[in-house]
Amino acid sequence: MKIDASKPLEYSTEENSNKIFGFWVFLGAEIALFATLFTVYFVLVDRFASGPNGSELFEIGPVLLETFLLLTSSFTIGLAIHAMRHGYKKAMMFFFGITLLMGLGFLAIEITEFFTYVHEGATLQTSAFLSSLFVLLGTHGAHVTFGFLWGTAILIQIKRHGINPATANKSFIFSLYWHFLDVVWIFIFSYVYLKGLM
Amino acid sequence: MDLEKFKVHGGVLIYGAMVSIALATLAIIIGLTVFKKWGYLWREWLTTVDHKRIGVMYILAALLMLFRGGIDALMMRLQTAAPEMKFLDAQHYNEVFTTHGLIMILFMAMPFIIGLMNVIVPLQIGARDVAFPRLNAVSFWLFFFGAMLLNISFVIGGSPDAGWSAYFPLASIEFSPTVGNNYYSLALQISGIGTMLTGVNFIVTILKMRAPGMKLMRMPMFTWSVLITNVIIVFAFPVLTIALALMMFDRLFGSQFFTMANGGMDMLWANLFWVWGHPEVYIVILPAFGIYSDIISTFSKKNLYGYTSMVASMVIISLLSFLVWAHHFYTMGQGVMVNSFFSITTMAIAVPTGVKIFNWLFTLRKGRITFTTPMLYTLAFIPIFTIGGVTGVMLAMASADYQYHNTMFLVAHFHYVLIPGAVFAVIAGFHYWFPKVFGFRLNERLGKHAFWWIIISFNVAFFPLFILGLMGMTRRMYTYSAETGFGPLNMVSFAGALGLAIGFVILVYNIYWSTRYMPRDTTGDPWDARTLEWATNSPIPAYNFAVVPTVTDRDAFWVSKQENIPLFKDQIKKIHMPSNTGKPFILGVIFFFFGFFMVFSMWVPAIVSGVGILITLCAMSFDRDHGFYIPEKEIIATEKKLRGETV
Amino acid sequence: MMKQLFPIRHVLGYIASLVLSAAALAVIYLDLSRAANLVILAVTAIIQASLQLFLFMHIGESADTKKELYLNIAYALFVGLVTIFGTLFIFVWGWYA
Repeated sequence: MKIDASKPLEYSTEENSNKIFGFWVFLGAEIALFATLFTVYFVLVDRFASGPNGSELFEIGPVLLETFLLLTSSFTIGLAIHAMRHGYKKAMMFFFGITLLMGLGFLAIEITEFFTYVHEGATLQTSAFLSSLFVLLGTHGAHVTFGFLWGTAILIQIKRHGINPATANKSFIFSLYWHFLDVVWIFIFSYVYLKGLM
Repeated sequence: MDLEKFKVHGGVLIYGAMVSIALATLAIIIGLTVFKKWGYLWREWLTTVDHKRIGVMYILAALLMLFRGGIDALMMRLQTAAPEMKFLDAQHYNEVFTTHGLIMILFMAMPFIIGLMNVIVPLQIGARDVAFPRLNAVSFWLFFFGAMLLNISFVIGGSPDAGWSAYFPLASIEFSPTVGNNYYSLALQISGIGTMLTGVNFIVTILKMRAPGMKLMRMPMFTWSVLITNVIIVFAFPVLTIALALMMFDRLFGSQFFTMANGGMDMLWANLFWVWGHPEVYIVILPAFGIYSDIISTFSKKNLYGYTSMVASMVIISLLSFLVWAHHFYTMGQGVMVNSFFSITTMAIAVPTGVKIFNWLFTLRKGRITFTTPMLYTLAFIPIFTIGGVTGVMLAMASADYQYHNTMFLVAHFHYVLIPGAVFAVIAGFHYWFPKVFGFRLNERLGKHAFWWIIISFNVAFFPLFILGLMGMTRRMYTYSAETGFGPLNMVSFAGALGLAIGFVILVYNIYWSTRYMPRDTTGDPWDARTLEWATNSPIPAYNFAVVPTVTDRDAFWVSKQENIPLFKDQIKKIHMPSNTGKPFILGVIFFFFGFFMVFSMWVPAIVSGVGILITLCAMSFDRDHGFYIPEKEIIATEKKLRGETV
Repeated sequence: MMKQLFPIRHVLGYIASLVLSAAALAVIYLDLSRAANLVILAVTAIIQASLQLFLFMHIGESADTKKELYLNIAYALFVGLVTIFGTLFIFVWGWYA
């Protein structure tokens, strides 16, 4: 394995930089994926049949909390990568762990929200609008859940093996994923919640 | 548990299929045990990460599916050969045309093309492997088990029966209550994820793994076409992923996306399906353009005319392919502006395609043409594909389409596009690259026999459908009365279908015959070809190139042969290789079971296998295998052996 | 140490994204026209997404893949926007009435 010392550890081998590039391409596919979900949502948003519409259903409080948690976790994963580049293993693990915990907090709020909706009689089966809402939010939430599991696996590897080309590479790719989920959330926040309440 | 839902009732044909599947499985198991090949199969194939072997497996699977889809086609043509035929009933006919379409597009054409690109692209760019060999194995096994999942639907639970486009509301649980369309949503999903990962893999491979000197504008045209195809794959398949997921939610969890009540919108399915579906057409056709370009250039002994315009037209096609989807449903109810817009974009695609046709013709002009089997398919492609293209422009006119829509004219059109555009291409590519992979050519005489059977029968089978369409015969009719006058032409078409079957039998026989009797090729370059894949030995050693080539020009190998410029400048050194792994195969198996349990709404086993998928992924993340090295001595010995020298 | 752990660019980016999220709330608390609201949503969301892309994800940092990454994102946006607006064109704006 050739290690190029002039580059950050996560880019240091050809395989590593290929992986980062490949993940960016994958994120391109994810953009198309979420764009399709937004398409479905936009087409169906006014088709709420006998169920509630967005302005009756949404509450801004929990949504703001979710937004705050995701924005902050996106900030802390950035700090984790920054610390990693300076070789601070402990600081990195701290920021990484905080990120995952905030992801968990986000999920807790989202799941509570879902339960509230269902309790109010707004289920996946109620109307086309609600189907598209649940699936759009659910797909994002599933990504966060997967991210939590994936991030935990990486955190364990960093604890075991320290910061090396392999773990640095995985962490960096994970950070790209996490930032991307934040980007998606920004659009959900704006075009689902705020537009719905507008 | 209620076993009734697993059963399929349908008379002799279904039971025949069940028995033959059981017998074939039994024969394979007994064969492997008797010849003690289980270990070999596991070590050399199921766990392989070698792009060439993965490519060969893709092609084998594709040939198998070609057989399955071909039988479907024969049954359909037989059922419609004469008025009031009683061979299949309506339900069975629906299942057969649905699976015929699905299998031919998704499990025959696509894997055949992906197989060829797996084998050839790394060689054409002078790479040792693809960028992510393990991911490549994951892609293959997801595709393979997705295909298997769809195929077992025939005997367990019932096949999808709402057409390959599965339009709602027909495909909803209300109108298609069997599990058939559950299979559709899950099997396509699983193999689709595999395909999307292939897309990522090949984009990185082509952009990042090229040999020194292989600039983008020096790449062989096949590699260019594969690059652009994979770009389309990466951005089109997510749309299918979502469409299938929504279908699954509607059918399994009662959501209201495509329903008729509670605000659902059935037409949204058609929309999403074709947002993916039209680019998909180009996914199967663009690589064909690449294959033909390489073949024409090789057998005309000329460099490709208009290289830059070839690349540019493919880029334009890839962008336009995302802008035309509504032409699949002009009659759905959208306004004049919408239809006009999509009509114009659709016709615009004919321009870059026409550029390519003329480039091929100019490459042939004044060339020293040799009429080998792959070249014959290529030459036949040009006029036949042009007929398909021109009828496509006819269909592109929205107002005229109100007459042609969903008639046999459309069926004839897309067979005239897809068969020369994809099937002839993969057959041509198969003949062309066969000696590279196996070290001997296919017999030319048998190859040409098969060619003439296939070409003539193709036209006999499909040209009458144009006329039938104009006479008013709609597609997907399982029978018709004698008064319609559709009978005679349908009988002609059936005769053509039989001829095609004979052609394919000769093709397969040719593989058998050539394996036994054709002389071995020790040059590695039996066609006197132009691109890098011919610069290494045949069959290709595991490491592809003993020394990484240095490229100085387009058609690098040809230039090096003509001007005696050495391609391989370095000394042989030890080579790093990735190790085999069984995890991708296991992942595929678990996905298969996950899909199966979901199809039958068996939630507990489905959740268990879902957790199994996560655990396998986790195990892959914790893997710390850094591969191994092939020592210098071994490489030198292998090279000598492949050149026919004594070690 | 604190300076090294909390680089100023990241901190500013974080504060900017919080401010932008708060600014977007104008659409529900201020009584603006629908058009103005849509402009606010688009502007705040696009700036925030760009902050993530350029500041946190370092899209431009690797010289040998920079061009490809921009092309990749551009292509993805092309497909995404075509899907969204094309579908709305078909079903909402251009539907036969």
